[in-house]
Amino acid sequence: MNGDDGNRTTGETGPDEDAFADALLEEELRQAAAVLDPVPAELLQTALDAFALHDLDARLAELTFDSLVDALPVRGVMDPPRMLTFRAGEVTVDVEVTADGLIGQVLPPQAVRIEVLGGPQTASPLTADTLGRFTGETPPAGPFALRLRTGAEVIVTEWLRA
Amino acid sequence: MVQSAVDGDAAAWKALVEGMSPLVWSVVRAHRLSEADGHEVFQTVWFRFAQHLGGIREPDKTGAWLASTARHECLKVLRGLARLTLTDDPRVLDRASEDRTPEESLIDSEEAADRAERVRRLWQELDGLGERCRQLLRVLMASPPPSYGEISAALGIAVGSIGPLRQRCLRRLRARMDARGAV
Repeated sequence: MNGDDGNRTTGETGPDEDAFADALLEEELRQAAAVLDPVPAELLQTALDAFALHDLDARLAELTFDSLVDALPVRGVMDPPRMLTFRAGEVTVDVEVTADGLIGQVLPPQAVRIEVLGGPQTASPLTADTLGRFTGETPPAGPFALRLRTGAEVIVTEWLRA
Repeated sequence: MVQSAVDGDAAAWKALVEGMSPLVWSVVRAHRLSEADGHEVFQTVWFRFAQHLGGIREPDKTGAWLASTARHECLKVLRGLARLTLTDDPRVLDRASEDRTPEESLIDSEEAADRAERVRRLWQELDGLGERCRQLLRVLMASPPPSYGEISAALGIAVGSIGPLRQRCLRRLRARMDARGAV
């Protein structure tokens, strides 16, 4: 009968022994991963430092459109710009990232101060006009977020890898 | 812990990072990104988690949130590469991280050397298991052991299929190790 323990022919491996061997092997793999492929120390440190990015006063602008996911590839265009849209309530931020840099527009049009964050410790200002159009000379290298200061509030876009 | 971190407790944040980083890393590694891409994905996940900390409604799903965010970022990287190079050959992305040998870590005794040899073989055999098994096992071996909910979020597979898949993959690996041992 299946599943009847204590009633097993000697020499066969039963389900319990198999499960035990599976658990042992899994544990062995876990130890192997810890030795051969651990989390790199500098990454762990970056993650620890990321606590500084926890900002209670800023409003989060969520990613609502990402051309990498939401747009069909254009035939023949080898390196299309990355189009992103973030939204926080009634405020929308459109961003286009190309090899030459970054351009974008805050809607509704308004004067903002805006900077690009590159990590817990790096922020560099972008040029913005009174209508909320902004440009950056260099494309973000690695993860980035935009921090906007409107007259009334601070908005930060969701972190993203460019 | 999540609530304490929301309230500004840096020690709680540290505990979260240390407890969950191996899971996030395992998801990155399961997707075979290049080293630079993998590092950026890992950072992006933690930066975004810090941003969303106040909005996490179910603290016990934190692991699943991190795993799922890591998975989606990995898929974006792969999609971007495919678009850029017009190839989806996974071998292009195949980078082993074998600059450290187990022998460097465990060489006190002959017994340790044997163990190190077995660890090295286990690692090699993983690659021969096929993509599905390799991915599952890489996430499964995160420390502390991830829940099935976390594994599901990490790989986009149904919770109900994880148990049977785990069993099949571990047995296949064991069979390969046995076959090698016999030679």
